[in-house]
Amino acid sequence: MKKNKVFRYLLSALMAAALFGGCAKKNAVPSVYLLNFKAEIQAQWEEVAAQFTQETGIPMKVVTAASGGYEQTLRSEIAKSAPPTVFNINGPVGYKTWASYCADLKDTQLYSWLLDKSMAINSGSGVYGIPYAVETYGIIYNDAIMRKYFALPNKAVNIAGVGDIKNFATLKAVVEDMTKNKAALGIGGVFASTSFSPGEDWRWQTHLANLPIYYEYQAKNVGDLEKIELTYTKNYQNIFDLYINNSITDRKMIGSKTVGDSMSEFALGQVAMVQNGNWGWSQIAGESGNVVKPEDVKFLPIYTGVNGEETQGLCTGTENFICVNARAPAADQEASLKLLEWLFNTPAGKKNVIEKLGFVAPFSTFGPQERPEDPLVKEMFRYLDDSGLNSVAWNFPTFPSQEFKNELGAALYQYALGNKSWDDLTKETVTSWATEKAAIQ
Amino acid sequence: MEKSLKKYFLFFVGPTLIAFLIAFVIPFIAGIILSFARFTTMTDISWVGFSNYVRAFSNSDFVNALKFSALFTVVSVIIINVAAFSLALLLTRGIMGTNIFRTMIFMPNLIGGIVLGYIWQFIINGFLSIFGVTITVDAKYGFWGLVILSNWQFIGYMMIIFIAGIQNIPGDIMEAATIDGAGPFTVLRKITIPLVMPSITITLFMTIANSFKMFDQNLALTAGAPGKETAMVALDIYNTFYSRVGWEGVGQAKALMFFLVVVVITLVQLTITRRKEITN
Amino acid sequence: MSDIQQQGKPLTLGGLVIILSLLIISLLFIAPILLVFLNSFKGKLFVINTPFAFPNDESFTGINNYVSGIAATGFFSAFGWSLFITVFSVAIIVLFTSMTAWYITRSTGRFCKGLYYAFVFAMIVPFQMVMFPLTKVANFLHLDNPLGILVLYLGFGSAQSVFLFSGFVKSVPIAVEEAATIDGCTPIRAYFSVIFPMLAPIAVTVAILNAMWVWNDFLLPNLVIGSEYRTIPVAVQYLRGGYGSIDWGYMMAMIGLAVIPIIIFYFVCQKHIIQGVTAGSVKG
Repeated sequence: MKKNKVFRYLLSALMAAALFGGCAKKNAVPSVYLLNFKAEIQAQWEEVAAQFTQETGIPMKVVTAASGGYEQTLRSEIAKSAPPTVFNINGPVGYKTWASYCADLKDTQLYSWLLDKSMAINSGSGVYGIPYAVETYGIIYNDAIMRKYFALPNKAVNIAGVGDIKNFATLKAVVEDMTKNKAALGIGGVFASTSFSPGEDWRWQTHLANLPIYYEYQAKNVGDLEKIELTYTKNYQNIFDLYINNSITDRKMIGSKTVGDSMSEFALGQVAMVQNGNWGWSQIAGESGNVVKPEDVKFLPIYTGVNGEETQGLCTGTENFICVNARAPAADQEASLKLLEWLFNTPAGKKNVIEKLGFVAPFSTFGPQERPEDPLVKEMFRYLDDSGLNSVAWNFPTFPSQEFKNELGAALYQYALGNKSWDDLTKETVTSWATEKAAIQ
Repeated sequence: MEKSLKKYFLFFVGPTLIAFLIAFVIPFIAGIILSFARFTTMTDISWVGFSNYVRAFSNSDFVNALKFSALFTVVSVIIINVAAFSLALLLTRGIMGTNIFRTMIFMPNLIGGIVLGYIWQFIINGFLSIFGVTITVDAKYGFWGLVILSNWQFIGYMMIIFIAGIQNIPGDIMEAATIDGAGPFTVLRKITIPLVMPSITITLFMTIANSFKMFDQNLALTAGAPGKETAMVALDIYNTFYSRVGWEGVGQAKALMFFLVVVVITLVQLTITRRKEITN
Repeated sequence: MSDIQQQGKPLTLGGLVIILSLLIISLLFIAPILLVFLNSFKGKLFVINTPFAFPNDESFTGINNYVSGIAATGFFSAFGWSLFITVFSVAIIVLFTSMTAWYITRSTGRFCKGLYYAFVFAMIVPFQMVMFPLTKVANFLHLDNPLGILVLYLGFGSAQSVFLFSGFVKSVPIAVEEAATIDGCTPIRAYFSVIFPMLAPIAVTVAILNAMWVWNDFLLPNLVIGSEYRTIPVAVQYLRGGYGSIDWGYMMAMIGLAVIPIIIFYFVCQKHIIQGVTAGSVKG
């Protein structure tokens, strides 16, 4: 049969094409390809790339992953013939996955500028990931509303202002009394909506969950665990209850609320507090009909009722570590380092970092005046500069997987709806942690 | 003819065949192999036998998704077909405005699944907010939300197919029946339904396939919430691939089982309706 | 039109009730789309809290949702990619699958018969079965760009299209083709001058069905080219989740913009679409 022959030829031709098609094309010109982690600053990165190319003549491409889809995008992009030369990992867990792609940055200028060397991701004597943007989160509050509350003649607490809220008990007393006086304060609730629309629950299953995990790590003096006990689960419940019981949105209705809704409520003065990070400032400032003055936007630590929490500061850390792709052509790696040096050390580059990208860069090349001009960053440094306070570290990069977070989010939602007890939530979370940690090995 | 055609095989069949090999045949075979392997990239594969299939059932996600999909398929297929058939009966009687009605009812079918999902998410949440709840409060709401959405999307399409089927019935058969004094229900039971059986085969085939394989609408409307209770099979497989590192092989094993289930359903359904067509 | 229609019947009360209920049903099918447009002029909190209310002084935001939403999603570039991918995918699908279908229908070889059944088989395989390996193959062969995805659409769309064309070719009398080849045409010339024009009715059907599928497809472009070249469904999905967070006002405006071209297309080609759907559902 002649047809069979043709078919065989075709197949072998196709296989050959597949084998040779996969070979890397030779890059004549060194170039940079950055896989951006933050969907919200995609446009800004593209402007930065254009300027970098204009100044140095090095071509630069930026690709942005969908929010929540970074790992997936990185996995598909890194396998390509022209892979990203600079990419982002979220911390030690991400490093486990990508170790073979991370170049050693120990001898780079960027590492020499890093203020706190312990923040970098080390393995053996090498340095494989360098933090490039420090962030913080806590309870953002509207000071105008708080002043109004403390001026109430019938207030139930005997403290003079927000400055005296140093622990959970005081916070709870203030919040519950504010709820009683909602009408007088002109708010719909103390806290903004506890967003649980699909994909919008990361403030609870990641950022808030970080607190009990942080205290457990502290108590056991570790930086990661294969199995947790969730010893501080009661504290987790304290703060979560406070949020859902004193919110503008009834607990049955939180399933349709998004983070954007919460930030709008805060910006429009409908609520006094919202848990979020300094990245939330752009959402507050950008809201049409915004009534909150910049000087009234301030941070309060997330108190949960742990002993000695009077010295607790904000949750400050990073999940933005920059890596250079060790498997990219050497010339491209060079070009990538050039980009990082330009970005974090030249006046033009730093201007981009501060004004366009809005990073608080943890490098010695940035003076105290070279910071993004926004009230939440000012607050971040107010807490950092207070030697009596300890920042809460970001331990959520050690959470086992996205799946673990999704399951915790679903359990929190069921608890809020009244379909699940907190004990069950605790048991499930402990189990899910162990299962997911085991799956990564 | 046949002889002279042979040397033109590559010209006529080549482009389609190459694309078909790249997009379907090679991935399909690779998919079967990968369901027995553990891998993170395509170059780093280890053979693990049936362990992916075992892991697919290590939690109840996949079984629940299968159940949810099956239930959803049964309910939505029945409602869609009954509604579409009733509308087709009404819109083949020469009523005033027939064309406008057909046009309006068919329109939603042209809108894509993702967009449909968000349209209905906001409408259903808006409606439920009157009762102080949202679509993700209870899996029941998500289930009926998906049913409403799929009805809105497919009724018009199936109606068009039924209309074509009804219009193909020879007029003299109908006339003869009416002269014989058959009532409208007898005509429907003895004449209309048997004669539009081919159309029923097609609409059943399409609605079952569309409902059971639904993904975009599911992702946009509930994304599986609350928990994973409203995740259908396609969404469960997608999540297995893309939200858990180290589970890719399990995702592929689930996909293979999903494929086998679809094949069985298709074969069963085709044999049953084909037999019906012949006996009538 | 059917011959059992009795145009111009006098209106009875029963007839009036039927017309009225049909009118209500039809409006129900249109209402959600109208609601989207209504809400696209409101601020995000009002979309969620009062979806059925008309915009008022407090909630009305003018065209702000459209302006900001277009900027946030890159809607125009998404529209461009959607249009590019749809037009060219449909063109190559119609061209190549019609050639293939005609050839394998006319050929008596066992390989061609087998190929026909392979296409029929591919019609029932769920996309999830090949999803993951397909993205890998696409990366490997450098098909992860708007040109390469055309090849994937041809490969994936070939199953149903070959099936439809084959069904039609079977009903075309072979005498016409033989007359053409006796005239001394090569099969290639005979195909393009005689046979392909005869396939025009089913070609329109195939084009319509594939256009509807490609235009609205989400998973394939999302997985293969989504990070760099977003089509409209991918851009809409990008509006949700993560730290960017969904804005229902933008969402309404973008859905509105996504629906407008579809409505225009529908009204321009309504006859073809309805006929295409009908013809496409008739088994070969």
